[in-house]
Amino acid sequence: MISDITLGQFFPGYSVLHKLDPRTKLILSVIAIVAIFFANSAITFIIFTLGAVLLIAVSRISFSVIVKGIKPILFILLFTAILNVFMTGGEGEPLVDFWIFRIYTEGIVRAVFMALRVMLLIVVTSMLLTYTTSPIALTDGLESLLSPLKKIGVPVHTFAMMMSIALRFIPTLVEETDKIMNAQKSRGADFSSGGLVKRAKALIPILIPLIVSSFKRAEELATAMECRCYRGDVGRTKLVKLEYKGRDLLWILLVALVAGAVITLSVLPYNPESYGVLYDILFYKI
Amino acid sequence: MNEILKLQNVTYIYGRGTPFEKVALDNVSVSFERGKITGLIGHTGSGKSTLVNLLNGLYKPTEGRVLLDGADIWENPKEIYKVRYRVGLVMQYPEYQLFDETVRDDIGFAPRNLGLSEREVAERVEEAAAFVGITEEMLNKSPFDLSGGQKRRAAIAGIVAMRPDVLVLDEPAAGLDPKGRREILGGLTEYVKERNSSVILVSHSMEDMAHYCDNVVVMNNSKIYGVGTVEEIFSESEKLSEVGLDSPAVSKIAAELIRRGIPLEGELYTVGGVRDALLRYMRGGAL
Amino acid sequence: MNDSIIRVENLTFVYDDGEASLTNTEENRGVKDISLDIKRGEYVAVLGHNGSGKSTLAKLLNMILTPTSGKIYIDGVDITAEDFSEDGIYDVRRKVGMVFQNPDNQLVATVVEEDVAFGPENLGLPREEIRRRVNSALSKVGMTSYVRHAPHKLSGGQKQRVAIAGIIAMKPEVIIFDESTAMLDPLGRRDVIGIMEQLNREEGITVINITHYMDEAARADRVVVINDGTVVMDGKTRDIFSKVDTLHSIGLEAPQGNELLWELNNAGVHIEGEGLTSEECVETLYNFLQGKTSRK
Repeated sequence: MISDITLGQFFPGYSVLHKLDPRTKLILSVIAIVAIFFANSAITFIIFTLGAVLLIAVSRISFSVIVKGIKPILFILLFTAILNVFMTGGEGEPLVDFWIFRIYTEGIVRAVFMALRVMLLIVVTSMLLTYTTSPIALTDGLESLLSPLKKIGVPVHTFAMMMSIALRFIPTLVEETDKIMNAQKSRGADFSSGGLVKRAKALIPILIPLIVSSFKRAEELATAMECRCYRGDVGRTKLVKLEYKGRDLLWILLVALVAGAVITLSVLPYNPESYGVLYDILFYKI
Repeated sequence: MNEILKLQNVTYIYGRGTPFEKVALDNVSVSFERGKITGLIGHTGSGKSTLVNLLNGLYKPTEGRVLLDGADIWENPKEIYKVRYRVGLVMQYPEYQLFDETVRDDIGFAPRNLGLSEREVAERVEEAAAFVGITEEMLNKSPFDLSGGQKRRAAIAGIVAMRPDVLVLDEPAAGLDPKGRREILGGLTEYVKERNSSVILVSHSMEDMAHYCDNVVVMNNSKIYGVGTVEEIFSESEKLSEVGLDSPAVSKIAAELIRRGIPLEGELYTVGGVRDALLRYMRGGAL
Repeated sequence: MNDSIIRVENLTFVYDDGEASLTNTEENRGVKDISLDIKRGEYVAVLGHNGSGKSTLAKLLNMILTPTSGKIYIDGVDITAEDFSEDGIYDVRRKVGMVFQNPDNQLVATVVEEDVAFGPENLGLPREEIRRRVNSALSKVGMTSYVRHAPHKLSGGQKQRVAIAGIIAMKPEVIIFDESTAMLDPLGRRDVIGIMEQLNREEGITVINITHYMDEAARADRVVVINDGTVVMDGKTRDIFSKVDTLHSIGLEAPQGNELLWELNNAGVHIEGEGLTSEECVETLYNFLQGKTSRK
């Protein structure tokens, strides 16, 4: 069911993460994304994972929600991981050598790192953005961050307005689709049997009414907005003004520190001969 | 008994096993008769929309059975679509279901789904169109070129064309002016007589209920609050107002006159009925 | 002293064929030679059946449509004058607020308070002022406890109350309700009508309720009946609804009390008196019947 997917959904709350300025969270996400692509050794992933755990802890979003969010992509993750295990060549003796399969240590390490990287990417961005930031705040944040582009004629405000209206109407349209489906079912329409062509054709009685009504909605909404003196961002003020607070700076520093550590460690050369097994495990690089 | 559709101890629970679980219908038993128009009234959230969706198998009862001519409609869940041809449901604001190129094709959608021959489809379309007052000229138009009232009638024709044994209409006159209301509701009495079918009418308008229905089912709080003839239901306006429903203004006028000692008798829920009662009283008693 | 807030002289509007779009067929009825004078603080119902041109009139009054000919004065200013400025349009729209039929299609934001703030934001008001207006508007419509709610989770009546708050927050002089109760259930309707009347009585806002429900029109002080794009009746509510014949001839009805007296009249029983409300009708009938019996 559509409603079971938690990825990309907003969970209202009052945690520090919820209270952060959306722009801060956007900036933090960018920093985190850069850092995760640098990560290339056990120590860097450990540091990063600790950071992610910290985010989850302060967000007060339950762990099961996060697991649920990852579930839909688990299959793809597993599939690519397995490919990595088999496809990665390595130096020295393979761990397994059977028929055409050769598995090297490098392959396993690479697969684990890859899976971790994707998982952390999803966890961190959803913790920072979708789970803890309302769509409208996200839109405001984007508009504000991109506002320098207005100077070169990019209609940033219009795009932001379009995005927020789209977000506003998604639930309305979902509800409407449901209603139209029931109405057509009541006229004997069948959406669940037959081949691909038949099923595609069965969608026409749903899509056309949906499109027609969306046009009508758009027209009525436009009139209503005009009646409320809307004229783009000309002389427009805002109820909610985005303001950086102390905690925003604090979080940027904190995340920059973690990211800095990850990046620094990832670019330091690995020296296999010098420091023993623990060093090898932590700092071995792919 | 002449009953055609029957709910037997039906309970319906939304979102079972989720935090949003809600009992929408609580052990409801009610039956609908052939040759009668039954009104269904109740507040938003009283359970009447759920009940409507259970009648033609859009929802499946959590417990209990829905019987059509004595047979459980969920006997064979794969064939539930057959029930939808026999219990025609006109949903609220049905004009949003219009999609085909011409009104003719749109009304023919259900008959075609029934697998009828083109000749039979054409026959059904003509019949249904004539019934709701859609002219030959309108049949050739795009449904989107019709006026609001015409669209509504075309959409109703799309259900009538299935020749259902039970016709369920959810607020068929919502948003229409008095003329539009009369055009749509006026045809129902004929429909019932001609087909000996059963009509179930959901409406917020007590005046319409009083005018067009034979029986009334009152719902409140996921349960049946009262069942009776129009006269029985509307003569007890206090009971109705207990659940926040009104009776027609004219029946309140009659009730107040009776309270003040003027003995009126007859159909005291329509303007015509009260007029006749007053005339009888004046001729017999006072004059 | 001229206290008319809206004055319309010989207003005509004809739709171009081009405007008969996919989505706009029913209300494609123009208006012909309408003259009206609405006083500040009045509570007026505009009654007419679907497609009578009543919604067109509303859209002309706040400059969503431009008249083909005729004059419109809002608060004494001729908004149809050739030199009427662009900025003037926004002033007119602020003064003449509109609440439409479909509650879903007039809410812009994903949070109630941000939706109410939309109008004041467009007016460029300072943030503290917007905040003040949002709070006061929401409390006037009884939706304060829903500030942070998502509009799509509200009932139809609640959505409409939010839409009204969005208009109140612009501090209008006139609010036009364009069939604003047509899609609501009885409870929602009652709430919206209650708010209309409260705004009229307590805030002194001129209320124009465009409707085809005669029971709603019966509550106004004045009724204007529109048919085929022209004003066919205009007067005190009481007087309009006693002319049952005329109403029937254009496909409208009167409240049941009026209808009952009229039916009795047709049956040869002439009764003098009021029948607008059920109470009045009972009074009239009772007195009449008492008179009959005492004479006997």
